[in-house]
Amino acid sequence: MMQRRDFLILGSIFGLSSALKSEVSTPLTHHFTEVKTTIAAVQEHMFPEGTKLPSAKTMLATEFLFETIFHRSYDKDIRSFVIEGAKELQRREKGKFTSMREEEKEKALRAYEESYYGSNWLSRIMILTMEGVFGDPVYGSNIKESGWQALHSFGGQPRPKSRYIAL
Amino acid sequence: MKEEVFDVLIVGSGASGGAVAYSLCKAGYKVAVLEKGRLIRRNEFSKDEIAYVRRDIITPSLFEEYHTIEEKREGEWVTTPTYESGWSFWNGNIVGGSSNLMSGMLHRMHPDDFRLKSKYGAIEGANIVDWPISYADLEPYYTKVEALIGISGHFEPHPFEPPRSTNNFTQPPTKENAVVKLLDKSCKKLGIKSLVTPRAILSRDSADRHACYYSNFCGSYGCSSGAKGSAREALIKPALATGNLTLMSNTHVKQLYAGSKDNVDYALVIDTVTGKERKIGARVFVVAAQAHESARLLLNSANKFHPDGLANSSGEVGKNLIFSAGGSGQGELHQGFLKEIGFEELMQTGYFVNRSILDWYFVDHWWDGKFKGGSVEFMFEHQNIISRALKHTQEGEHLLWGNALADKVVECFTKQKSLRFEVFNDWLPHDNCFVSLDPNHKDKYGMPVGKLRIAGHPHDLKVGRYIAQKCEKILEEMGAKNIYSSISAVPPQNLIAGGCRFGKDPHTSVLNTECRAHDVKNLYVADASFMPTGGSVPYTWTIYANALRVADHILQALKTL
Repeated sequence: MMQRRDFLILGSIFGLSSALKSEVSTPLTHHFTEVKTTIAAVQEHMFPEGTKLPSAKTMLATEFLFETIFHRSYDKDIRSFVIEGAKELQRREKGKFTSMREEEKEKALRAYEESYYGSNWLSRIMILTMEGVFGDPVYGSNIKESGWQALHSFGGQPRPKSRYIAL
Repeated sequence: MKEEVFDVLIVGSGASGGAVAYSLCKAGYKVAVLEKGRLIRRNEFSKDEIAYVRRDIITPSLFEEYHTIEEKREGEWVTTPTYESGWSFWNGNIVGGSSNLMSGMLHRMHPDDFRLKSKYGAIEGANIVDWPISYADLEPYYTKVEALIGISGHFEPHPFEPPRSTNNFTQPPTKENAVVKLLDKSCKKLGIKSLVTPRAILSRDSADRHACYYSNFCGSYGCSSGAKGSAREALIKPALATGNLTLMSNTHVKQLYAGSKDNVDYALVIDTVTGKERKIGARVFVVAAQAHESARLLLNSANKFHPDGLANSSGEVGKNLIFSAGGSGQGELHQGFLKEIGFEELMQTGYFVNRSILDWYFVDHWWDGKFKGGSVEFMFEHQNIISRALKHTQEGEHLLWGNALADKVVECFTKQKSLRFEVFNDWLPHDNCFVSLDPNHKDKYGMPVGKLRIAGHPHDLKVGRYIAQKCEKILEEMGAKNIYSSISAVPPQNLIAGGCRFGKDPHTSVLNTECRAHDVKNLYVADASFMPTGGSVPYTWTIYANALRVADHILQALKTL
């Protein structure tokens, strides 16, 4: 069985760096701010405008990702991994990823996917985007049930009135 | 000081704890049910895939409470904490337990399941024993469960269908998707008898519980109409109505304290919200925390009177853990390639498949041989939208994204529907499947966690493959595409039994035939722990039935204790 920490650490230049773990000195949310546009660019590349699915941008996928990974129910190591993986991508592309043309982004992400670490990080971004686009709209994405409408599949009744069964 | 003293204290509010509480409260006894999770009421459930499925928010954080799992890799036993693997062994830690989340496909065990060793003989490397009771002892309780929990269905005679004392179920089957026409016809062509699955879901209103409303999201979710026969709806609520039940949610039992050789005095509990500890006394204690956690509680209750753990003079506590398992498979029914039914009918959501097959429960074939087989359930692939979409993100070694992803996901959701089958065959008990205390790991309450050594017996895999191949033929006959099946020794973590076998000999079993500890006169284990073998069906109906039987024995004992 795959060890969770293996894919979180193996192949990363930073590992699960002490900077990210020491939330006291710098809040993790601050680190997220540094990578937010990179994550958004990756999500928008995966779910662009003009396909049969709603786009990441219109579904506010990055806001959903941020709120999801910082919820207390979310695995704290994967939270760090999401941020570290984005930093790794920034480093590989010398900070230019967000300003690349689409073909260049495609090339950069496919190259990143060649590494074990990059492949796992991209899968995680895919999961976190799909959770938003196809999850209940109460979580802030899947706006007007656009994700469900694209699939002709709708969440069951009753729908949640609040996030994470906050009774 | 003990704050309160009850007639009976029950650890766990799931199928078995609920059944015991129901019977004793109805009989007028003061009962406390201690549940580590919270109470979620009928009108508070929703079909929130992110909360219930993706985050599994009704189980503890694995960083705070976990198990360690020991598996054999390359000839060595390797231990992995579940916070590393993510392979959680918690199940529905809420009032009513995992019965809230079941799909409700239930079967009785067959009379020969109670005498597996006598009937089929020993199997090398397996610890098979006959049960100390027979099907006839349990039959009245199986029948009682049909009415009390609410099992809908339609009885059809079949050579391997257990005999029953009533003619038919009290409620007709739930509504069925048109795919059953195709499934039934395909089975018939192959000489296979498809049967209507008994389901713990009401098809008609009953008292304050409403009929199924076919939400399309049943298993893994709580029921919002009360149709599902969870312990919370069917047992705990009526028990509360008697005024005799004290339901303590958010209350985790750390230890049972026995201040003498043969008597438990109190439960040491902790409020999971405030962290405050206290002691609760009772005349009788009933452990019903699910098999692996029940054994852990007994082992964690060791003291000078019980140095190897409570009720463990035999050394058998935790041994011979078994699972309700077998394997599964599926095939895709595609638009344009359907026989018998229209695509629109197939895509209709919410209705059940409701078909099971018992033809291979016992195999006696001139070529294949004579052996104990198993049962099969047919169902649609779970309708969870996120989980289904995520199955289509990969092509070869690459992630799909952009147009390629969108086209594939939309196609898979709108042009086809997957039909699944699940095989249930015996998980043979053996020496390498057990739970003990991990010497190196403790939970957030400071108690050693359960360490589960898990391995399957090769015979189980052989039986599973035999049945799966038959099921693949059915899917082929139906015209399904991309058919596959998966048979492995990886167990489902929601159907666990064994660990406190019942039997007549105190040297080889933990519990007597009444499921009372041989060693301790006021201690019962009411969950699936008692099962020495598990039959080839999901355990749930047997758990409900046996707990009602145990409750009757407790009622007798309370007269003298």
